[in-house]
Amino acid sequence: MPRFARIALAVLFLAASLQSARAEPVERIRVEGELIDTWCYVTEIMYARGSAHYQCAVWCAVGGIPVSIRAEDGTLYVVLRVEADTRSVSNPSMVKIQSHKVTVDGDLIRRDGVNYLLVTQVADDQGVVDLTHEKFGIQPWGM
Amino acid sequence: MARHFLLLLLPFVLAVSAPSHAAQKWGIDGEMTAQFEARVVDMLCELSGDCPENCGGGKRQLGLLRDDGRLLMAVKSNTLFAGATLDLLPYCGGRVEVDGLIITHPSMVIYMLQKHRKPGAEDWIQATAFAKDWKKRNGATDAKRWFRRDPQTKDVIGTYGKVGRPDLVPPPAAE
Repeated sequence: MPRFARIALAVLFLAASLQSARAEPVERIRVEGELIDTWCYVTEIMYARGSAHYQCAVWCAVGGIPVSIRAEDGTLYVVLRVEADTRSVSNPSMVKIQSHKVTVDGDLIRRDGVNYLLVTQVADDQGVVDLTHEKFGIQPWGM
Repeated sequence: MARHFLLLLLPFVLAVSAPSHAAQKWGIDGEMTAQFEARVVDMLCELSGDCPENCGGGKRQLGLLRDDGRLLMAVKSNTLFAGATLDLLPYCGGRVEVDGLIITHPSMVIYMLQKHRKPGAEDWIQATAFAKDWKKRNGATDAKRWFRRDPQTKDVIGTYGKVGRPDLVPPPAAE
């Protein structure tokens, strides 16, 4: 094999190795928590949990704002995939379960202060159980 | 409630009264204006190696990979209740200059995209691609209060109600 061809192959092999090495370490976890709208929750512009924020959470999910799961201890997990479905922008199945309390199994990837979750299975869905509208009304703008 | 309403209107008020080159603060705890160059990446690709063409064509969250290796997810644009994917999609795999807010919260760090441009370009582009796309998809002349007029939001909220459960009666409107 000519020298330049060997060098080209070596470069290609190295590039392929770097591509596969880019994937972050993964930890398999089970998370129980509420599906939330990431923007409103993180900015604390309004009360962004439970039934008070359901309508806004649906708007934001349809608008393509990332959906996260807020665990009971306050940890946030940004959902980037649900089973084989890799749509994390305006995914109809995620829109329909906004504000629900769910239990999911998934692969956790941590990077730069953010927890990303690739959900492998939705084990349980309790629906909307955090009835915050009784205290906070509907956020934002009332009705 | 009045404070919330004013906060939501703030970017529009400031957009017409402030210099065009500076990101607008929202008065959010932990916010910092941030203008920088980065590479636009498909988040799932960057994190897991699952890399379709064209960063998923607008169906995946996109991020900004800074030159120091730090990855920021762009979660919000300058359209109300809308993300930044469609604004960043044209730069998929390439470099972009962005202007916006880094918001650091105890639970995570996010980026709000306000403007973008190709590095070296003179003019900034407002991050309102969702509104433009929504108008086109819905044959509308404007995207004002798109979230109340959108067929998908109307369908979901029509089915499950404003509080997510059809068996519950929403409270009366706030004053």
